[in-house]
Amino acid sequence: MTETDGRTLAPWRGALRVVGAPIDRIDGPAKVSGRARYTTHVTPPGLLHAAVARSKVAAGTVRALDLSGAERLPGVRAVLAVAVPGQKIRFAGQDLAAVAATTPEIARAAVARIEVVVEPTPHVVTLDGAMADGAPRVHEDPVQARRTEGDDPTEVRGGGRVTGNVRPLPAFEHGDPDRAFARAAHVHEAVYETPVVLHSALEPHALTVAWDGDDAMTVWASTQSIFSVRDEMASIFGLSPERVTVICEHMGGGFGAKFGASAPGSRMGFIAGTLARKAGAPVRLALDRRAEQEVTGNRPSSRQRVRVAADGRGRVVALEVVSHGTAGVGTGAGVGRNAAHLYEKIPHRRVRAHDVFTHAGPGTAMRAPGHPQGAFALELALDELAAKIGADPLDLRIAHDRHPVRRREYELGRARFRWDDRRARARAARAAGARVRTGAGVAASIWGDFGRAKAARVTVAIERDGSVHVRNGVQDIGGGIATVLAAVVAEVLGRPVERVHVRYGASTLGRSVGSGGSQTTSSVAPAARVAAERARRALLEAVAEATGTPPGAVTLEAGGTVRVGPRRLSFEDACRLLDDDGIEAVGQRGPTRSDAPYPFPGGGRPQIGGVQFAAVEVDTWTGEVRCTHLTAVHDCGRVMNAKAAESQVAGGIMMGLGFALSEQRQVDPVHGRVLNADLERYKLPGFGELPEIDVHFVPVETDANETGSLGIGEPATIPTAAAVACAVFDALGVPVRTLPITPDRVLAALRDGRAEAAP
Amino acid sequence: MNPFRLVRPRSLADAHAVLGADPRGTTIRAGGVDLMDRWKEGIDRPATVLDLRTAAAAEDARALASLSATATSLAVGALVTLDALAETPLPAAFAAVRAAAGQAANPAIRRQATAGGNLLQRPRCWYFRHPDLACLKKGGSRCLAAEGNNRYNAVLGGGPSYIVHPSSLATALVAFDGHAVVQASPGRPKEIPLGEFFVGPTERLDAETVLRPGEILLGVRVSAPAGARSAYDAVRERRLYDWPLVEAAVRLRVEAATLRDVRVVLGQVAPIPWRAREAEAVLEGRRPTPERLAEAARAAFEGARPLSDNHGKIAVGRGLVRRLLHQVTGVPLPA
Ligand SMILES: Cc1cc2nc3c(=O)[nH]c(=O)nc-3n(C[C@H](O)[C@H](O)[C@H](O)COP(=O)(O)OP(=O)(O)OC[C@H]3O[C@@H](n4cnc5c(N)ncnc54)[C@H](O)[C@@H]3O)c2cc1C
Repeated sequence: MTETDGRTLAPWRGALRVVGAPIDRIDGPAKVSGRARYTTHVTPPGLLHAAVARSKVAAGTVRALDLSGAERLPGVRAVLAVAVPGQKIRFAGQDLAAVAATTPEIARAAVARIEVVVEPTPHVVTLDGAMADGAPRVHEDPVQARRTEGDDPTEVRGGGRVTGNVRPLPAFEHGDPDRAFARAAHVHEAVYETPVVLHSALEPHALTVAWDGDDAMTVWASTQSIFSVRDEMASIFGLSPERVTVICEHMGGGFGAKFGASAPGSRMGFIAGTLARKAGAPVRLALDRRAEQEVTGNRPSSRQRVRVAADGRGRVVALEVVSHGTAGVGTGAGVGRNAAHLYEKIPHRRVRAHDVFTHAGPGTAMRAPGHPQGAFALELALDELAAKIGADPLDLRIAHDRHPVRRREYELGRARFRWDDRRARARAARAAGARVRTGAGVAASIWGDFGRAKAARVTVAIERDGSVHVRNGVQDIGGGIATVLAAVVAEVLGRPVERVHVRYGASTLGRSVGSGGSQTTSSVAPAARVAAERARRALLEAVAEATGTPPGAVTLEAGGTVRVGPRRLSFEDACRLLDDDGIEAVGQRGPTRSDAPYPFPGGGRPQIGGVQFAAVEVDTWTGEVRCTHLTAVHDCGRVMNAKAAESQVAGGIMMGLGFALSEQRQVDPVHGRVLNADLERYKLPGFGELPEIDVHFVPVETDANETGSLGIGEPATIPTAAAVACAVFDALGVPVRTLPITPDRVLAALRDGRAEAAP
Repeated sequence: MNPFRLVRPRSLADAHAVLGADPRGTTIRAGGVDLMDRWKEGIDRPATVLDLRTAAAAEDARALASLSATATSLAVGALVTLDALAETPLPAAFAAVRAAAGQAANPAIRRQATAGGNLLQRPRCWYFRHPDLACLKKGGSRCLAAEGNNRYNAVLGGGPSYIVHPSSLATALVAFDGHAVVQASPGRPKEIPLGEFFVGPTERLDAETVLRPGEILLGVRVSAPAGARSAYDAVRERRLYDWPLVEAAVRLRVEAATLRDVRVVLGQVAPIPWRAREAEAVLEGRRPTPERLAEAARAAFEGARPLSDNHGKIAVGRGLVRRLLHQVTGVPLPA
């Protein structure tokens, strides 16, 4: 008999019937038919609409607020001062005041009548400006790092003392880099830059608050973490978390910026909840695109000085990254784990990163915080070193990587991508001075499995009519966890996926995790398996009892047939033997019990690999770059849904292409305003950028948890921009060391390259 | 958005009556793509909106909605959509016009946007479009791009404002001789040469053409010498659905292996569609050798004076013009 205790549940081995197959997402029909209800579709009776007055200056002190103009406007039901006189303004877009009115138009008109006197003070929005002597100080007081469930939970916390606007982050050092650099045969050193980029979820931050008496509320939120919204709203309003119900049925993207009751740069939960209480009616606060792009978080910039050295035999011996980046008024402009831990065979390694404060909206976690920036600088620098010492970039990487799965991924990718062919063709075109060049590049990803024990309580119920139900409060942010829950339970109970009903997206359905750190699947799916195994055992026990059969003689066969001694019952007939209550079983995930296939730095959990190969075409006359092909070879333990996993990787690649080629926040240096707080001049990649994408998974069996599943959302986007930049270097023979790689930068790099080559 | 009056005229005469009553307070809506964007940002607050499209079926409005061409002439009604312009087969001479219309924006916008609205759309400069910033063209005292972030601003012909003219269609049309057909009141329309129709900030800050309040643009008529060919292309940071970084249109004719009637127009680099006369001079009457084409491409940006962030446009533009010249002359492009 199967042991169903979460801690000792035997792992799945070999192929499964449902889990791992390409499964259509269960929320697909609702989404494509328009039936899916997103946060702003929820309209409780009497709903009011909120709008927020935001600072138009980047720095200053609030001197006075006059809300009377707004209060007098017909249709306005509540007005709230969010800032108080004396308060400092540190970025344009900061909350000043808010109103709730009967229509969004009236709310906006009312906001326009609010008069706030802000005495401007000097501001600084550029990295250079903020680091210059005498720069205006962004924070006078000690800085509290804001962390969310989107951050790597194992990252060393804290930071050094702030000097001016610069705050050192915890440093990493391994070996003796200084000595190694001093003795090395070849040293490459250069500066690499990445811009601030914006999450740009299609669905903006939005929440609707309805009070239910004085001590309870319902909140509909577009969120990556239902329970962090619940707990934060409870704490803001002094309620018991049990009295706060949070609902997120469907979600239009978050990418790290949607944790908790507030947006990173706007106290949305406080505002909506307070306005709703004042007005005595439900209030919806949904940001417009400008606010969404200006105040709801971003991926911090980076300027990385990279030094990398090789000995006379082509071995990389030392690596150093010193980085400065800005997360605006926020913290967290690090460069991830790549330089510190990816190439462990480089014996001497050092990473020093710094936050540089500027008067701009706060950065926050964005899909693999720090990693895409770090990967870009590290991998391009490695390729530049490789070119110097005549090494093949792929061989060089394999030679310095210990992770057995990633090494295998490199080899698989080499063949699938036709690396050697593509490199040879690029070399020939370069040598011939061709107008249109092609290039090939490769880069890797490092991520950890952050799946958590006991973080999710999943309920599996079997009714007398044979229906199977799964319940958990998890939000499906688009990654497809709801479908995974159906698949896991279907697997255990021998049912077809479409016969398993999943309820999710509400705090009343059982504790669950936030969708950050790529931990949703590996935290929630195991709990579902444990619950399903318990339900299965309970079903068999009930059938045994009802039929007077010894318990050991009742078994569940593939396809859901129940064998009772010599007899066979259909699943439905077996369920009819249950009493009225049916069966209800709750499951939780056990602790991580293996670091297979290879440990993540710090130990105790698996490391997730992944490599991507990019092919580009570059017009050397106009500087246009096109990524034509992308081969992605990844691992995430046991794949739960082949279709969703592939789609995660494809999405990560598209996001990476935007980072590589077109996205950058543009800020006006004089007024401190974001100039492209829209989706027009903020250039997300589109179908024109879509390359041929080849996704391949290396199956990995790990006993880390009850389903053997690991995360994939974040690893999928880490190497893309780096691989593209390496491919552009291969095409041109000169590097473009600043993202995004726009036509003008390509031509400037070619010109500088020619200048360098000239005597 | 402010409350407004929507008027749906049934004829051109109707439209003129409304416009004549309050020329400054009435705003014409064609496809509405540009107007709505400005309106939503609070840059425009029209009191009366005149939807020109409802007049299109009337007898007196024929010119507005029709598209007609011969081998050497093209007449584009102001209400012809970019999509219709791109999808209607036109004589080879006008290939540049089709291409410009077909590459602009995205399919949804092209189906909505009209030729007239495209030519008359307001600048896309992010300072002009920002609801909280008062740029020179909105009554402010200075061009904020000049001292600010001017990545997409003018490198040629700028000052005191450094906007670039946004219309791709204008870039292509200015490669031909022709007129804008404008009507101020019922009666005989006036014809304004295209070369005089678009005006820069030294002449006007409140508009980018000579069109005055109350006037209706009926359409544009252009002609090409017999045997002319043309081409348009653009370089974008994103391949689809993006404003060009630089765009260009070329029209010429090859006679006895030499180039004649050469016209080179640059877009997104100056406050008006920019005739690159230096480039034209390099090519006129000469044989199209690869070296000559490269020289012309260099000459196209001879007088460029970049601001702090937009010098990259020059090299990109030169590469684009060079490639385009190869394409239109038939001189094979190197691999
Ligand atoms: C993301 C994006 C990308 C774009 N990319 C491009 C591009 O690459 N190239 C390009 O050229 N455009 C581009 N556009 C702009 C788009 O093509 C224009 O907004 C559109 O062509 C305007 O046409 P419309 O008919 O909608 O004009 P409307 O908005 O109706 O009118 C525009 C202006 O012209 C006036 N007007 C219109 N018709 C007449 C008339 N007959 N007589 C007098 N006045 C009139 C109106 O009063 C208004 O002020 C882009 C737009 C977007 C949003």
